[in-house]
Amino acid sequence: MRDCPVVAAVGSTSIAAEHRGSNLRDLMTEAVLACLADAGLRDLSAVEHGLTSYESDHFNLQMTMGAVLHDAIGLIPKPNLRVEGGGATGALALRAAWAHIQSGLCDSILVYGCEKNGRGVSSRTANQLFALSADADWEMMVGGNYTGFYAAMMRAHMAAYGTREEHFAHVAARNRRNARFNPIAQKPMDITIDDVMRSRPVAEPYKLFDCSLLSDGAACLLLASENWARRHCPAFRERPPVYFSATGCGSDTMRLGDRYPELTNFRAKQMAAAQAYAMADISDPAREIDVAELYDSYSGVEIQAVEDLGFVARGSGGASVAAGMFDLDGDLPANPSGGLLGRGAPVGATGILQAIEIARQLWRTADPRRQVAHARRGLTDTHAGIASISVVNIFERRD
Amino acid sequence: MTEKVRSKIDIHQPENLDSADVWAGFRQVQRIKLELTQRYQYSLGKVSRFFIELENRRFFATRCKSKGKVYAPPRPLCPSCLEITEWVELSGEGVLKTWSVLHFSPDSNEDVAALDTPYVLAYVLLDGADTLFPHLLKAKPESVHAGMRVRVAYADEPVHHPIHLMHFVPAADGRNG
Repeated sequence: MRDCPVVAAVGSTSIAAEHRGSNLRDLMTEAVLACLADAGLRDLSAVEHGLTSYESDHFNLQMTMGAVLHDAIGLIPKPNLRVEGGGATGALALRAAWAHIQSGLCDSILVYGCEKNGRGVSSRTANQLFALSADADWEMMVGGNYTGFYAAMMRAHMAAYGTREEHFAHVAARNRRNARFNPIAQKPMDITIDDVMRSRPVAEPYKLFDCSLLSDGAACLLLASENWARRHCPAFRERPPVYFSATGCGSDTMRLGDRYPELTNFRAKQMAAAQAYAMADISDPAREIDVAELYDSYSGVEIQAVEDLGFVARGSGGASVAAGMFDLDGDLPANPSGGLLGRGAPVGATGILQAIEIARQLWRTADPRRQVAHARRGLTDTHAGIASISVVNIFERRD
Repeated sequence: MTEKVRSKIDIHQPENLDSADVWAGFRQVQRIKLELTQRYQYSLGKVSRFFIELENRRFFATRCKSKGKVYAPPRPLCPSCLEITEWVELSGEGVLKTWSVLHFSPDSNEDVAALDTPYVLAYVLLDGADTLFPHLLKAKPESVHAGMRVRVAYADEPVHHPIHLMHFVPAADGRNG
């Protein structure tokens, strides 16, 4: 197999509840221009392939968003692929791009994703549309929604392992505090565990501050073979090379109840992690991963993730989180960007934003207040639904 | 003056343009209202019998003929064995495994939109089944606890979506539904 691809350049817009002055094409264009500037490229003429990462057609009254955005950003007549995989869309898009480079199909591919989920429709309509990405024949029709499904899982986790509301409130407060040091973050907040505990219930045991955000935003990552990046991107030659070294993916049933008796943890995430660790030759992830962007769609999901990714033993996620293991000054900082809770989650861009944060951490160009010292290897964890599709991508600095 | 564009919400005209702004010529923003309303002729497909029997106040699941696993909600094909399943009737009684108390309604259909909040989304292991059935548990949220016995209650009033021909109630409640 060829050497794994490199992160040649990255770019994004700021993430906001509403980018009123820009529609989806505008946001995407702004992120692509930022990525070109980061690469030191004047235009896209050398880039061989485009890959669109976009989820929710219903929010913007436009289908075939792959073709639409490919045109808007100036990649015509080059090949295009659109990837959709619910919340995992951005990470799946990067995984597909990885395979494009590894197969030799191309040497450079622009992965660009965006979403306007913020204020274009009412939050009631947004909830209705996102519920359509659950099992719309059964769970959605009875009155279920994602907050409820995740909450039912967390209740089972609490009953099985003694996980407490304060444990996941720690995640909610910490990730929003981390977001204070990320200039693109949507919801930086200086809040405490008590503030989270006092916020209004949404789907018990989850409260308002345990829930992630609806966001507008766009992100772009130029993935390439190392030779291509060295030849075409002046900026690449000036930074330590960051390789996209491994990727894993797993799946699980759409409905939580079909997983019985497994109710507390994500099997798909365990499988995705096992694949990625085998590919990256990692045997002790808690020691061999330096920084992680975890899919904190709800605060407790980070607790489940650190268990399923093998950072801590099953059932001990709550206590490990509460002890500060994943804080910025902990052993394995998680979500320095602020995560979905603090930075925001424009779905098609989310997995790309996670990868961008890891690249910045490995380049050591993050704001010093959120920079993880000596980071050489980072992981992104992204999933769709209640981890019906789960993707783990690993990035490494080699210099 | 009469509005010439009926869908117009507003036009935002920036007051002080930054001369360094590369997008300075594009900072006027107009917003309009768009609407998309659809109706679907949606087939319930091979699980239709489940919904049809709810009208007869009977609760059906499916069983894998190879390994005997019982699916509620029903699956026409066992995903483990790829065997076509068979219909089996269950008593409709079971035990609550996990749940959430929802303080907002996702408005998924007319029946859900009419629900009073908070309501209980319950995952129930029906006697004789191997999977959990998700549905509303109509009980006081504070009275709900893991392991409680529940049963299917059937609707007396017309519903919009046939899944609302049923819901769960505590097994201790009288047989009025």
